[in-house]
Amino acid sequence: MRFVAWAALGVVVIGALVFGTTDRDPQTEAERVQAIAESVACPACSGQSVASSDAPAAANLRADIERRVAEGESAEEIRAAYADRFGDEILLNPPSSGAAAVVWVLPVVAVVAGGAGLVVAFRRWRRDW
Amino acid sequence: MRSRVALVSAVVLALVIGALVVVLSRADPATTRKADSPLLGKLAPDLADHRYDLVSSAGQWVLVNFFATWCTPCIAEHDDLLRFSNAHALAGDAAVVSVVFSDDPDNVEAFFEENGGDWPIVLDGDGRIATDWGVARVPESYLVAPDGEVRAKIVGGIEYERLEALLAEAKASAR
Repeated sequence: MRFVAWAALGVVVIGALVFGTTDRDPQTEAERVQAIAESVACPACSGQSVASSDAPAAANLRADIERRVAEGESAEEIRAAYADRFGDEILLNPPSSGAAAVVWVLPVVAVVAGGAGLVVAFRRWRRDW
Repeated sequence: MRSRVALVSAVVLALVIGALVVVLSRADPATTRKADSPLLGKLAPDLADHRYDLVSSAGQWVLVNFFATWCTPCIAEHDDLLRFSNAHALAGDAAVVSVVFSDDPDNVEAFFEENGGDWPIVLDGDGRIATDWGVARVPESYLVAPDGEVRAKIVGGIEYERLEALLAEAKASAR
């Protein structure tokens, strides 16, 4: 019975993780433009995306994203072009390779270490009881 | 006991203020600040409206200046740009090119009529040139070597003496 409960919990957690991390591709051109604009930082602002800023530089980038999407460039090509001109800090989602990959790896390491710590603690408590 | 605490606090405060004074006195001034850019050491992007071609200025250093008439530091730097342009007009070793950033061409024309300056002005109606050069806000300027390579990025207004020093430094390192 206990095994079934743990297995159900595992299925729910894995399902939630898969659902949360799977990219659901935007369908229309406007949705693609919006999705890219949300992942590019406004270079003249602090913490705002190109999609949510009224700064002239953000307006320029929005127009440029529209043009590039219409010309058939992929999201990754567009983001790479901006990193090439403005630096990696223009990307709101850090790249998944190089030193910046630590941002993605660290939470996983923290969750695994936390889970392992909990297992050890629960076992100790059970032994003490 | 109280006087000792007061003395230690005063010493700590004095050290902090002293450190601040040292740091601030060594900081770059507000004008002609050199900045990092992925473009440094690379070929300058096109000035895409073809009214001005960087290639046609081969053999000259070019200061590509992004500006707008609504931007106060841009207005403030104009006299220094004018001085720089005039100082190098005869020798022909350096020139200024202005790129209009999010501004009305009529305002720009009126501004130059009123304030002088006969260097090329490139319109950038869709902002594509500014994006290609990685311009975040104005004024921003780029010093382009005679071989077309970007050698320096300057953020904030230009100050004539510092710009001359920057050009001399760039020329020396290019030899």
